[in-house]
Amino acid sequence: MIYVLYTIVFVICVYTGRHYWFTLNRLFGFQRHPYVDIDTADWPPVTVLVAAHNEEKVIANILDALMTVKYPTDRMLVIPVNDRSTDRTREIIDKFVEDFPHRIQPFHREGGKGGKAAALKDAMQLVTTEVILIFDADYIPGAGLIKQLVSPFFDLEVGGVMGRVVPLNAGTNLLTRLLDLERSGGYQVDQQARMNLRLVPQHGGTVAGVRLSALREIGGWNENSLTEDTDLTYRLLLNGWKTVYQNRSECYEEVPEVWPVRIKQIMRWAKGHNQAMMTYGLSLLLGKHRATLRERIDGTLLLGVYAMAPVTLVGWALALGVFYQGVAPLHGVIALLSLTAYAALGNLAAFFEIAAAARLDGTRKRISLLPFLILGFAVSIFSVSRAAFSQVSDLVTGAEFHWDKTERFRKVL
Amino acid sequence: MSPYLAVAALILMVSVMLMLPLIPAFVELHRKSDAQPLKVVQQNAGEIRYFATSFREYIKELEPVLRRCVADAITATGTLPDGEEYVALGLANEPLVLALQQRDATRPVLMAVGTDLIVPPEATFSRDIYARGQFIGGEKNNYRAILGEANVHLGASSHVMRWVHAVGEFTADAGCRLNGRISSDSLIRLHARCSFLRLNAPRIETGSAASDGDAISPNLIFPTSVGSASSERFLHDGDFEVQAGHVIRGNVVIRGNLYVRSGARISGSVKSAKDMVLEDGVSVEGSLISARKMRIGPNCAAHGPVVAERELTIAAGARCGTLEHPTTVSAPRIEVEEGVVVFGTLWAREHGGVVASQ
Repeated sequence: MIYVLYTIVFVICVYTGRHYWFTLNRLFGFQRHPYVDIDTADWPPVTVLVAAHNEEKVIANILDALMTVKYPTDRMLVIPVNDRSTDRTREIIDKFVEDFPHRIQPFHREGGKGGKAAALKDAMQLVTTEVILIFDADYIPGAGLIKQLVSPFFDLEVGGVMGRVVPLNAGTNLLTRLLDLERSGGYQVDQQARMNLRLVPQHGGTVAGVRLSALREIGGWNENSLTEDTDLTYRLLLNGWKTVYQNRSECYEEVPEVWPVRIKQIMRWAKGHNQAMMTYGLSLLLGKHRATLRERIDGTLLLGVYAMAPVTLVGWALALGVFYQGVAPLHGVIALLSLTAYAALGNLAAFFEIAAAARLDGTRKRISLLPFLILGFAVSIFSVSRAAFSQVSDLVTGAEFHWDKTERFRKVL
Repeated sequence: MSPYLAVAALILMVSVMLMLPLIPAFVELHRKSDAQPLKVVQQNAGEIRYFATSFREYIKELEPVLRRCVADAITATGTLPDGEEYVALGLANEPLVLALQQRDATRPVLMAVGTDLIVPPEATFSRDIYARGQFIGGEKNNYRAILGEANVHLGASSHVMRWVHAVGEFTADAGCRLNGRISSDSLIRLHARCSFLRLNAPRIETGSAASDGDAISPNLIFPTSVGSASSERFLHDGDFEVQAGHVIRGNVVIRGNLYVRSGARISGSVKSAKDMVLEDGVSVEGSLISARKMRIGPNCAAHGPVVAERELTIAAGARCGTLEHPTTVSAPRIEVEEGVVVFGTLWAREHGGVVASQ
């Protein structure tokens, strides 16, 4: 038991060190934004896929925004991927098609397997361009975003591109404010640090792009994946393609405003991520492919982030068990010093990261909400653990995953 | 004190101490003083002419005054609605020139000029300048910003702090320091020892660039059906060398240093994960991307975007982009020899400089 506990503590320390490494890199390291200055070019034709399943509250906003972006209109085709919607989504899309017949080509999907990846896979029959951008329907791209997301594809090593998402409804309530801080840390520090350090920036599946030839090479969208973005990141990496992160390619999104929706969302992410870990973990770390050593290590750690929640819970249980059994872990003094050191530094790693992100974003007072993040973390750790345990039981019982769409909160237009 | 009261007091005290760090959090949650979504650039797409366009809008207030000044050949002064002081000049006339004859004279007001303007040397203009005619600046002047509706010429060793936009040609004599954005709707020409950050024009020349006829155009080498549209790539781990005079039809991705020897031609795009060196007369139809340093040799031609993540040097006679297909050349530090032509954008994040050709 004690050795399992040592292993868990070691892994937690590795993740703690990773948090610090990323944060310090963002604060003091060399920042990579290699493609952001490409403002003049022979812009390639691009297809913008907008994934939409019952999106009547938001679909008009994104189509409106896409019709006003600064990109040659004869080189950009928007395909709203209406995935079996039962609300007014189809009606709204068709109205836009009437207004912009040559710029929007709808894909109305009536049946087939559920989930975003399956819908995107079916929509690929309409795609002919080398560059594909993907947005979820609740996003609102700015005028320059399409060019910014297309520009990395001038680099033939790039298979995927990821932009930054920024919560639009950040100020609604405590949950949205906490998610705003979490997103800030995740993108402003985590993703950009991975970009800086040439590690594995993660494809997010929205405000993102993929190269058609790379997608074909890796076998297209994986409709069996719960998180097609994570799945895509790893298949690209294993096939010698890079995913790059563009921190200045920002786009507004809508974050969940109620806890049950948030819990459902994070459970789906956890299941999808764990699914990718089981599928690609071993081959990434030890397999024969073109990923560098640092990409292998970072990619493996990234795959394990959602597994850390149940691991931490097990660690707590073991620590209690060890205590009540009266076992002294290692030498008492060393244990005490380690505990003190971890309490002083380790527990603060994630908070330090988010505080640094808030500083980099130039925000001031929202940082005072930092103590409330304990609440967010507590909810996350139990939700993610629940997802992991249910995933294990699904494996045993043979139950299938099912895809839960995130509820929207914007008012219907 | 009763034991119950003591325990209650202890619990209360501990609770208060635990809650103390949360007070700012509760205050912020209640007041929502920093609850707006982060500002995302939604409309201004990083357009280099953004300041110039905004200033042109702003200066419209002065149009009637300026017209009167030109018609009557007079100078007028006043204050704009936002409190900005201005001087409107009908002619580049004696009073202005005389007033600035003293060395280190400073003009702390916005200047709008209805006709051609010749500015004497060693003057500082701490507010923006609008010139409807030609603008010819003397040596060692300091400018905040200039909008010229015709040509703009800066004398040697002048300094621009924010931006310049010329509808006509923009020329900077030797030793100018051009901070911020410099744009022209026709041509930018920089002479030796000029430094720059961000330039955009249909044609950017350093020194006295050779005419287009002297350079190899990538358009002439490969049929247009071949090129960066094809996404097949040659991927190589480690250093790689393209032999002199070789022709590669396709894209090249090298995860090491890349050396492209004299006269080689590549019909696709090129990427190197480390340094990239292009020797004399190399031509590339697609983009050139280096994750570290890049050197573009004499008389090279690149059609697509050129990006170096650390440093870029471009030798005399090189051409980037074409008039029909403008492109971007970007790196944190760029050194360009005299005799280079870039069509589109030349953007040095940290420092760009023009050096005499060797």
